Amino acid sequence: MHEMGVAAEVRRIARASVADRGPGRITQVKLAVGDLAAIEPELLSYAWEALVQGTPEEGSTLDIDWRPARQHCRVCGDLPGRAPGTWLRLCPRCGGILRVTGGDDLDVLQVVFEEDDPGEQAAGGEAR
Amino acid sequence: MTEVDVKQKVLAANAAAAAGLRETFARSGTLVVNLISSPGSGKTTLLEKTVAALKGSLRLGGLEGDIATERDAERLRKMGIPARQILTGGSCHLDARQVERAIAEEEGRLSNLDVLFIENVGNLICPTGYDLGEDFKIVLLSVTEGEDKPFKYPAIFSKAAVTVVTKIDLLPYVPFDLPAVREQVATLAPDGRLVEVSATSGAGMDAWLSILTDALAKKRAEVPAAGVAP
Repeated sequence: MHEMGVAAEVRRIARASVADRGPGRITQVKLAVGDLAAIEPELLSYAWEALVQGTPEEGSTLDIDWRPARQHCRVCGDLPGRAPGTWLRLCPRCGGILRVTGGDDLDVLQVVFEEDDPGEQAAGGEAR
Repeated sequence: MTEVDVKQKVLAANAAAAAGLRETFARSGTLVVNLISSPGSGKTTLLEKTVAALKGSLRLGGLEGDIATERDAERLRKMGIPARQILTGGSCHLDARQVERAIAEEEGRLSNLDVLFIENVGNLICPTGYDLGEDFKIVLLSVTEGEDKPFKYPAIFSKAAVTVVTKIDLLPYVPFDLPAVREQVATLAPDGRLVEVSATSGAGMDAWLSILTDALAKKRAEVPAAGVAP
């Protein structure tokens, strides 16, 4: 629901991370989004598209790494995988209460930056 | 093409502001609760009754998050406590930087309190992810909303330290499976508390008020020098 605000914050962080790299443009931002971060990856990508339209980042994309929450049952141990919307309930095997951890990630992992002059600048960029 | 490693939390700026607020509140010994629920579940009414019960013995204040109108802050001011409206202009949650700014702009009227109530924008989803420097989150669920809400919005019900079931005076008139709610909340928040209240009839209000006064006493015990009026 607040994907646009998150997208704006992602851009602020992305721009700051390449501020000292000279002329060029951001082509991709890699993100980690957790199961419990209340962020819908698809909506975040739409928000990003709308946000960067007519800006230097136009045409750039988000690469979202989805991070599931970990479900743990005291009796059965870790439960791998789950159907969407089924976390935080009772253990499907024994009916015990599940402990849920992680999945609250919402991180900018990496920014892909394309230097303006591919000839010289790219070599300079890679030398860093 | 260069790949620049960033590894930064998107909400880092909010988290930093929240940490600053938490430090300020610790110094003043102020208990801060962040109230979250869907619109119309009775947050402001619960606060009005809470204020009526506690304002004689405690210094209280309120921050009211809404998309539009000053109504909620006015209702609290009418109860005789300082309150400020934060208008988010469409945003679905409060941000710690908005709280910081609102407190600063009140020039001391919302500082050095015993309890600060932050009433978030009515929404069970987005406010869950934003730390406001509070001691704990409280989620309200009115009996008219239906008993399936905890499992439908598990994030807030598992993060809230207290679930307040409101409008229990309406239980005879609506189909609401209270035991099912108790069970869902126990599953989602094994260490959480659940109280059932009616702000209208006063039922359950004592249990709710003692959660607040106990939490304040505990905070004061941890920071013995705090809370002494300047």
